Amino acid sequence: MAEAAIALRQPLIEGGKSIAQVTHDVCAPMEARPTALWWAALGVSSSLLLLGAVAVTYEISVGVGTWGLNRTVGWAFDITNFVFWIGIGHAGTLISAILFLFRQRWRTSVNRAAEAMTIFAVMCAGIFPVIHTGRPWFAYWMFPYPNTRGSLWINFRSPLVWDFFAISTYFTVSALFWFVGMLPDLATIRDRATAKWRRKLAGVLSLGWNGSYRAWQRYEVVYLMLAGLGTPLVISVHTIVSWDFATAVLPGWHATIFPPYFVAGAIFSGMAMVLTLMIIARRLMHLEEYITLRHIDRMCKLVITTSGIVGLSYATEFFTALYSGSSYEQFVFLNRALGPLFWGYWTMVGCNVFIPQLLWFRRVRNYVPAVFAICILVNVGMWFERFIIIVTSLSRDFIPANWFHYAPTRVEVATLLGSFGLFFTLFLLFCRFIPVIAVAEVKGVLKYGKPRLESAHE
Amino acid sequence: MSKRRTKRYWKSLKERDASPDVLNARADEFPEGGPRQFRRRDFLKATGFTLGVAFATGCSRAPVQRAIPLLSQPEEVVPGRSLFYASTCAGCSAGCGLLAKVRDGRPIKLEGNPQHPVSRGGLCATGQASILGLYDSQRLQHPLKDGKKSSWTEVDQEIQAEVANIRGDRGAVRFLSGTITSPTTRAAVQGFLKGFPDARHIVYDPLSNAALLDAHEQTHGVRILPRFHFDKAEVIVSFDADFLGTWICPVEYTADYRAGRDLEAKRVSYHVQFEPRMSVTGSKADRRFAVAPGEMGLLLTHLAQRVARETGTAVPSGEPETASSVGAAFLDELADRLWHARGRSLIVCGSNDLQQQLQSNYLNHLLGNYGSTLDVEKPSLQVQGSDKELGALLAELRDGKIKALFIYGVNPAFDLPDGEALAGVLRKVPLLVSFAQRTDETATLARYVLPEQHYLESWSDAEPVSGLVSVSQPTVHPLGDTRSLLETITTWNGKPKPAYDLVREHWKADIFPRQKRESNFDAFWDRAVHDGFAEVEPLPIKSREFNAQVVRPILKAPRSETGAFALVLYPTVAMLDGRNAYNPWLHELPDPITKVTWDNYASISPSAAQRLGVEDGDVVRLESGSGQAVELPVCIQPGQQDQVIAVALGYGSKLSARFAKVGPQWLDSLISVGDNGFVGVNAAPLLRLSDGVLRYDDTQVKVSRTGRQCELACTQIHNTLTVPKKLTPPGSGPRQIVQETTLAVFLKDPHAGVEDHEEKEDLWPTDHPYSGPRWGMVIDQNACTGCSSCVIACQVENNIPVVGRDEIRRNREMHWLRIDRYYAETESGQIDVAYEPLLCQQCENAPCETVCPVLATVHSEDGLNQQVYNRCIGTRYCANNCPYKARRFNWFNYAHDDQLQNLVLNPDVAVRSRGVMEKCTFCVQRIQEAKIEAKRLGEKVSDGSVQTACQQSCPAQAIYFGDLNDPNSHVSKMMANPRRYRVLEELNVRPSVGYLTIVRNHEKESKEEHHG
Repeated sequence: MAEAAIALRQPLIEGGKSIAQVTHDVCAPMEARPTALWWAALGVSSSLLLLGAVAVTYEISVGVGTWGLNRTVGWAFDITNFVFWIGIGHAGTLISAILFLFRQRWRTSVNRAAEAMTIFAVMCAGIFPVIHTGRPWFAYWMFPYPNTRGSLWINFRSPLVWDFFAISTYFTVSALFWFVGMLPDLATIRDRATAKWRRKLAGVLSLGWNGSYRAWQRYEVVYLMLAGLGTPLVISVHTIVSWDFATAVLPGWHATIFPPYFVAGAIFSGMAMVLTLMIIARRLMHLEEYITLRHIDRMCKLVITTSGIVGLSYATEFFTALYSGSSYEQFVFLNRALGPLFWGYWTMVGCNVFIPQLLWFRRVRNYVPAVFAICILVNVGMWFERFIIIVTSLSRDFIPANWFHYAPTRVEVATLLGSFGLFFTLFLLFCRFIPVIAVAEVKGVLKYGKPRLESAHE
Repeated sequence: MSKRRTKRYWKSLKERDASPDVLNARADEFPEGGPRQFRRRDFLKATGFTLGVAFATGCSRAPVQRAIPLLSQPEEVVPGRSLFYASTCAGCSAGCGLLAKVRDGRPIKLEGNPQHPVSRGGLCATGQASILGLYDSQRLQHPLKDGKKSSWTEVDQEIQAEVANIRGDRGAVRFLSGTITSPTTRAAVQGFLKGFPDARHIVYDPLSNAALLDAHEQTHGVRILPRFHFDKAEVIVSFDADFLGTWICPVEYTADYRAGRDLEAKRVSYHVQFEPRMSVTGSKADRRFAVAPGEMGLLLTHLAQRVARETGTAVPSGEPETASSVGAAFLDELADRLWHARGRSLIVCGSNDLQQQLQSNYLNHLLGNYGSTLDVEKPSLQVQGSDKELGALLAELRDGKIKALFIYGVNPAFDLPDGEALAGVLRKVPLLVSFAQRTDETATLARYVLPEQHYLESWSDAEPVSGLVSVSQPTVHPLGDTRSLLETITTWNGKPKPAYDLVREHWKADIFPRQKRESNFDAFWDRAVHDGFAEVEPLPIKSREFNAQVVRPILKAPRSETGAFALVLYPTVAMLDGRNAYNPWLHELPDPITKVTWDNYASISPSAAQRLGVEDGDVVRLESGSGQAVELPVCIQPGQQDQVIAVALGYGSKLSARFAKVGPQWLDSLISVGDNGFVGVNAAPLLRLSDGVLRYDDTQVKVSRTGRQCELACTQIHNTLTVPKKLTPPGSGPRQIVQETTLAVFLKDPHAGVEDHEEKEDLWPTDHPYSGPRWGMVIDQNACTGCSSCVIACQVENNIPVVGRDEIRRNREMHWLRIDRYYAETESGQIDVAYEPLLCQQCENAPCETVCPVLATVHSEDGLNQQVYNRCIGTRYCANNCPYKARRFNWFNYAHDDQLQNLVLNPDVAVRSRGVMEKCTFCVQRIQEAKIEAKRLGEKVSDGSVQTACQQSCPAQAIYFGDLNDPNSHVSKMMANPRRYRVLEELNVRPSVGYLTIVRNHEKESKEEHHG
């Protein structure tokens, strides 16, 4: 029996770790002084964040006119960035919730970081709907709060309102899920802490975790329930984001394929981003034995699956346009492929459909630098996808007299860089202060693929 | 210790005998229990009583403090209600009647006077925008002496003294002005000059039509401008006369032209235009030929000879060389058509060449048009300039003979060919007095600048057409220490009087006797002031029989140098001769044809551009033979003659230097002026004053590339209705944004050209029952000439900000109403132009309404798509989702720092702050006003009581507005017109705006092929 198990299952965690070793491996970097590399990375990312903060402050104080938008193209970088970041956020919930429900135990090494990424990405995304408004100081009017302004209420027919609810729900559930999953690890930090403040803080945050059977039992139930709650959100959030476009009358936006197309795209970009971050993290924090080539291999398979869905969606859009018989619709797609922004369109197709095809080869999947490069390109391609959808449809719609091009200003580019700055700054701080690997969960899979010592009980 | 305190002291015996309880109770201020306790019930009772009393007293009437209003309120002024005063527009010399809307003592809007026989309710863009001149903070507020502030007493004394000296020395005195239509002013000037031994009043028009008058002097013996009646003409042939755009009196001509093209009455004139560049008039022509200016005379001769042959008149000697660009067959056909419509045809010629004008007169004479379509009995007085006299004056100036020169209403240092040399000469004139309102090029040279009042500040009059005297009444107290010319002159004559008295006296003496209807002058005057005009007997004209002897055939076109272009200098509807260079609205008004703002440019034909290897925005250098040169960006213009380069006059004025920083200022913003510090470049140096006339099309220029670029601020970058060839979906035709047909087809089927859309049954209950009125609009695209007066009317009415050149380049203009212009090329190679005024379509299924997260745009029960500015947070989703892109976003806080200029703002319309969306509201403030008034009177809102600003100002009356739920309203009837279609009807957004098809009077049933 035992021999057979070994042959069928490869261990999820390599290096024959003991339970204590796991704890040490994950917690030690947090307890040591940060490395020069970490400082350098933080320096770069916080500089970008500062740049973005300056750009946003300038934009809010002077006006949206400081962006390259015009009366034809009312959204461009702002909503592109918003959808891009929301999409990035998707992999986290997918890994933590859906893979959990499907009992994909390999997820334990990556779920903490993926969830963190989700939360940071949603934070980055959340900035854009606020700052893109003409009067951001009134952005809270999108919230249905009781007010004394007469009968003013929000418009429940507007997808922007649905967006507001979808994203705030998503953020709340993701944050809760992340926090609940972190409880045992916070307790570990508390127990290992030498500094008094650290012990206090971790003690409060771990909600008095005592490792008892009862605590574990309740923890598992809550975690399962949150996973159940989070799963529909993976589908709903990006579906609703896609309705921002699908409910509009604009050719190229008004498409029923948008929800599945956007969800697949989101998972696609999210997985690519998780891979990007994991590849960096395993290298920098010496976690090769936890995040193994098998993890990368599996995530690559998810990437190529979703790439296929995205590619099919691109093709379907063309087919729908052709089949619709609407010349406006047909024009929009021809214009995407051959119009002034053709380079953007082909960047998108190249990065999202053609390049991921390399992942069919096991050698590519197992060659980390190649995977890293592909994932970066996928992220570039997915950013362009949103840009192309938004800008090409707006810039050339029904009435030719309205046609106009779009070019970003320095302020917009700085805002985009700033969002990356925020994301990486938060991620670097996360690496410093929170166990990047779910210690408790990994301990649960240590025995996976190893000969059982006592009973068949796992 | 306590034992020591057993001794008890008492104050009285009672106290000594009292029980300890009582003593304790006395010491305790708030004893518990006992009868003195304030119980809960008591508390409630007391509270109840107190409240009751408080209520009772509160209910009594407070003493009324009566505020006593001022017993003698300003007459007629009701705060918040507008008064309309009839007056006369002085934006140009056409003399259109207007109604000045005065609100709380300040004029805020000019509307056409529907009763006025010249303008008939329309008002052009220039006229609409002239109100901004009143509130121009850079207008001179006081007289200047040597460029420094002075006082009227000082300048009057000094000028009177100098004038007396000159009179004594018998020095030459000249009064130089543009056309003065005011009989009172003209008489006053004459009266002033009469006192000098050598004095003359010299009139010239910077946009001269002197040859037209000179030609009539030769053929008819009187120097007059006949009044044209385009409404009576069935065939109109125009030789480069832009009569719908800028020529003489476009508002009157547009109204006439429109009347002559009545599709409902199936009476449609046939209009042929020969012109070198694409003009507004040419864009409406049924047949249009791009003809080099040099060839125009030859064409006239060809036509004249053909018509002469038909009449049997002896053809003037000489055989003209064959005209190349217009086939003989067409000329034969045209001559035939003209002959059949003799007496009901009209030839107009816009050239300032005497021979051409003579030919044109000859043609009209042959066709018997004098007396029917050209009125010489009641001629027009809108143009009076004489270039010959101007030439003589310039010679005198050069010789230093002039001792005193008074300049009124013109800017010769700017608008004459040799401005710089002229400036040097003018500087040497011993007494140079300018009456300019602003320190323009000429005023800076003058020793004295005596600022004339704005026409809305002073009494005056006008006689634009002989027998039609129009009153100009002030609507506001002068804003500066200015004085009208009338008053100034009488002051110098020693009899200072207010302008009101002067105008009245003149009317009593000269105008009143010319009529018989009214016997009492006061009644006559009151009536005239009320109506804005009076019709009197025309001035007697002593014209003689047509003298055909003076007409000489033009037998050949001048040979142009190889590689040279014929330069055509033309006015734009916005700038005219440069008089509007101070006006930001007009700088930002897109040219009707090119849609360019904030610049003039060298327009050339596409093939010429290809030949020169230039594209839009490439700066080229135009150099004339005499060495004058200007550098201008290229604008490629379909429909232009290949050997012609056209440049707009009136740009590059000193007055435009103020616009360097117009519009929002931010990190990447660019200035709105060129390298010279002005908006555009002055092309007047390329004018020629030859043979006694100013020539606008007689210069040959060499064109060379400079290698520099200057992006034009254009509001519409793509020209055609179709998409680029390679992006055209296979099997799809042109987009049916503009729907049109030809007359022949229309006569058979009025519905022709309208693309029908199946009205599908809706699954949903109607959101909007429209139980009351439903406001709607119909725009007749066939009538629209693209003149753009509606655009300015909307801007004035709705407080639309000016954003500057850089923002226009970024496609962020704020005009709520725009006129899209499309080109199409017919089989014969003619360029057809279509105008489509687009504004918010007030859709029933409005895509903007559903997407706004905060309900800032909602549907009103009377069909308006409302925009709530103070609720808007600026997500711009509505604008993205608008298929018409009719919404405008406030990208910045647009400047409203100029306190004086802010007086023009309409108090009924909110000034929008940054970050909010705005758009056309069908002038909801006017609807509300009419509704309130109707409610006060207890009536229904009557048809026609609401007029939108654009509708009101349209000279062609192409816009109908009213209640679509009232089957008898004008707009409902137009909605039911078979020509009616809706733009993008297939989207089922159900717009409230309908359009009427363009019906082109092409001779063949040609199927239009739209392409670029």
